[in-house]
Amino acid sequence: MIENARSLNIAASLILLIGMLYILGPLYLTLATASQSYEFLLRNGLAWYPGDQFLNNAVRIFTETRIPIQMLNSLAVAFSLAIATCILSFLSAYAIVYFRIRWAGVAFALILATIMLPVDIRVITTYQVASNVFSPVNALLDVSGLNGLIAQVFGAPVQLELSVLNTHFGLIAPLAAHGTGTFLFRQFFRTLPGDLFKAARMDGAGPVRFMFDILLPLSRTSFAALFVLTFLSGWTQYLWPLVASSTPDMQTAVVGLARLLPDSDGEVPDFPMIMAGAVIVSLVPLLMIALLQRYLVQGLVLSEK
Amino acid sequence: MTSESTLFSNRWLPVLLVSPFMLLIVLFFYVPIFQAFYWSFFLEQPFGGGSMFVGFDNFARVLSDREFWQAGWRTIIFMVTASSLAVLIPLILAVAADRKIRLSLPARNVLVWPKGVAGASIGVVFAFVFNPFVGLLAPLNKAFPGIWAPGIDGTDAFITLIAAHVWSGIPFNFVILLAGLQSIPRTMHQAAAMDGAGPWRRIFDVQLPLIMPQLFLTLVLEFTESITSAFALIDTITHGGPGGATTLLVYKIYKDGFSGYDLSGASTQTAILMVFVILLTAAQFVFLGRRINYER
Amino acid sequence: MNAIDTAIRAAAASITVKGLTKAYDPQTVVIPPMDVELKAGEFTVVLGPSGCGKSTLLQMIAGLERVSGGKILIGTREVQDLEPKHRGCAMVFQNYALYPHMTVFENMAYSLKVAGMAKAERAERVAAVAKMLGLADYLHRKPGQLSGGQRQRVAIGRAIVREPGVLLFDEPLSNLDAQLRHDMRVELADLHRRIGATTVFVTHDQVEAMTLADRILILNKGRIEQFDTPKAIYHHPASVFVAKFIGAPPMNILPVTGDGSALRLADGQVVAHAPLTGAFQLGIRPEDIVVDGKADGHAVKAALRFREDLGSHSVLAADLGGSIVRIATPFGADIADRLELLLNFPTSRLHLFDAATGRAIPGAQ
Repeated sequence: MIENARSLNIAASLILLIGMLYILGPLYLTLATASQSYEFLLRNGLAWYPGDQFLNNAVRIFTETRIPIQMLNSLAVAFSLAIATCILSFLSAYAIVYFRIRWAGVAFALILATIMLPVDIRVITTYQVASNVFSPVNALLDVSGLNGLIAQVFGAPVQLELSVLNTHFGLIAPLAAHGTGTFLFRQFFRTLPGDLFKAARMDGAGPVRFMFDILLPLSRTSFAALFVLTFLSGWTQYLWPLVASSTPDMQTAVVGLARLLPDSDGEVPDFPMIMAGAVIVSLVPLLMIALLQRYLVQGLVLSEK
Repeated sequence: MTSESTLFSNRWLPVLLVSPFMLLIVLFFYVPIFQAFYWSFFLEQPFGGGSMFVGFDNFARVLSDREFWQAGWRTIIFMVTASSLAVLIPLILAVAADRKIRLSLPARNVLVWPKGVAGASIGVVFAFVFNPFVGLLAPLNKAFPGIWAPGIDGTDAFITLIAAHVWSGIPFNFVILLAGLQSIPRTMHQAAAMDGAGPWRRIFDVQLPLIMPQLFLTLVLEFTESITSAFALIDTITHGGPGGATTLLVYKIYKDGFSGYDLSGASTQTAILMVFVILLTAAQFVFLGRRINYER
Repeated sequence: MNAIDTAIRAAAASITVKGLTKAYDPQTVVIPPMDVELKAGEFTVVLGPSGCGKSTLLQMIAGLERVSGGKILIGTREVQDLEPKHRGCAMVFQNYALYPHMTVFENMAYSLKVAGMAKAERAERVAAVAKMLGLADYLHRKPGQLSGGQRQRVAIGRAIVREPGVLLFDEPLSNLDAQLRHDMRVELADLHRRIGATTVFVTHDQVEAMTLADRILILNKGRIEQFDTPKAIYHHPASVFVAKFIGAPPMNILPVTGDGSALRLADGQVVAHAPLTGAFQLGIRPEDIVVDGKADGHAVKAALRFREDLGSHSVLAADLGGSIVRIATPFGADIADRLELLLNFPTSRLHLFDAATGRAIPGAQ
């Protein structure tokens, strides 16, 4: 279009510049401080330019803190969470979209409701359930009176007990109980032409074949998008890993990093080392964003439509 | 979409497909929610001392607690200020990035980066950047002692939290709003230009009205997000202080439950918070959602 | 002629529909009880406006839609309760519905693979069909790398590779541009001549119906209006609906009254002599009206409203007793500035329909 939008373009450029500065500024200061020594910090305060101590600080993170093993925990949690979410979401969305079932709407609503109340809100009682995943079964046995019967016959009521706290499964399960993936796949399935499904049926494909031969290959980018999205979310979780793990060796890297900050005010913390930790902890997800940004953006857009 | 009767008619296969996920959701979503309401009517003795039904006593106790009301009030203030900023700033950035200018591409890339930085990590960073003695504003503090004191002044601590929250929230809201702007057909701009609307004017007359659905969605999600994501920031930057000035409800619930061992009190507050979130979401859909429904 | 041609010709089966109904609920009946028989090897076009139930009929034959009642027989086999794959039907879809992640070869071989055919036999079968359709050079491409016409051919190839008893087409040409649509029409007619498959072709395009069909089945609100050869449908429409649906511009329909000896227009002019009494609808095709010419019918006066020159001929619109009639005349008739026309309706070209039911009155022509 022929039109004079110079004033707007200048304003837009300025805004974007400020926006990028807002994002990059703290990241740059983190990097700069991480490469200075503690003494430098005490003398000069905030570092405006990078120094030569990054390796030194990084080595201290790797030798003096539990962050290396916690990074492995984060990797395990984020990776399994992403895989589990992809599989469970795909299967449930497939059932909801492609089968003639009367309860499809109810199931979808029940799944979607999980988006409204994240684990951070229900953390207290989620912790209770995780400390004994059989507690609902016990309660059902109690309420139904079955346990009274069992107590009469066998001498004692059934009290099953299994805690998933401080396990990788326990770290992942409550986070995986989230409906975004199902929503994303359902939206994707609905963009596929209905005739594709009919053509497959005419070709003789049943539910299993249709899923493996047609739907799965076509969903590749949706899988990638959901994987990236969930992996990042798993890596960056804080409250749930904080309460679900009681030993430093089970904590995730983000929790470990936050533990490096002293609880009380007073002396100036060893910010260069902590900042080096922040850099190391954020390296994996940032690398992922750099390499797979296309899928991340697609995932974000798909998850809202 | 395929018409109803062409779908697969297997009866048990879909049950099999949904049940693993359903089991997980029931166990780790619906049971905890049910328990929160259940425990709010019982008084749980710490250390396995049993429990007893107390009716609405827990609610009476929580609702007469001044700290609860303060935490609730702060939650609402944080929710309103932080989430409106966390939508407004990405909105301005998205409108700017939607233009064909040189900075648009690098900005689209950079503005997604915070998605990879955990709330707690950026909390650690902001705790440092806004540290009154060694941080960004330390020189200012030297010139005017006490002007920036998040360790003492609750407002300063609050501002730090909001700055960190907005930083974290930029990627999602920016991507959604930009996608909305880019889905506006080019002909719509051309038609408005033919009608005499200049580029500035079109922002308000064409672009903003047409991305109302996306704007609405980001706002709804941002409200919940601001209530929950605040925890990591509080726990790393302010620890609820100074003097409880940044103790939002999520943080108070965590403290009451895990440090104070007050399961009933924490459950009751959880139940109240959940009802609040559900009502808020419902209200947004009823009052805002109904008006925004453009068929394109 | 090669092996696949003969195999398909041998597989061709008849379709018999008995008392077939479709209703989503008691209020929304899409197809009231229908009986029809399509002969083996016949090319049937199902024609009707959108929402007339033609696609539903096709999908019920295919097994993609449940029947609410009645029977469908393919050959002598009752199929209405069978899965699509057990019916021996193949289908070509509106937007091709090719699997985007599979090559042309994989697309065509997929149904054979599902059916468990050996790999070598599959390859042989696909190669034969690809050769017949001129796709041999494209077997390793993905659908996204093909032109519209090639994709259409792959869709047809995918259908006939199974040597189906029945070949179904669901408006396959409706999304093509005009030139390609014409080319594909010719190709389809040629293909049918060669392989002789029983074909059911759904469309709302009367040109496709007229050019492709052995017989046309015209549906209106789920009911069969007429089922006959294109020629018979054009020259002897069974109802006002058919008369208006076939032909461009459509047949003129005028209200007339019989006084026992003559049929009169609304303004009293006599258009024909007939021993009929009561109200009727009179039909005449635009190209059958003679302007000024001497013909065997009655001459009536009409006022010219406007004319459209189409190069090969002109279409005139004239006011005749309050109704507009369209007349197709050879180009060059000297009528440009005349306001009053003398029209002649040849008696042998008149169609008479019942005013109330719209059905043709037999022997009244």
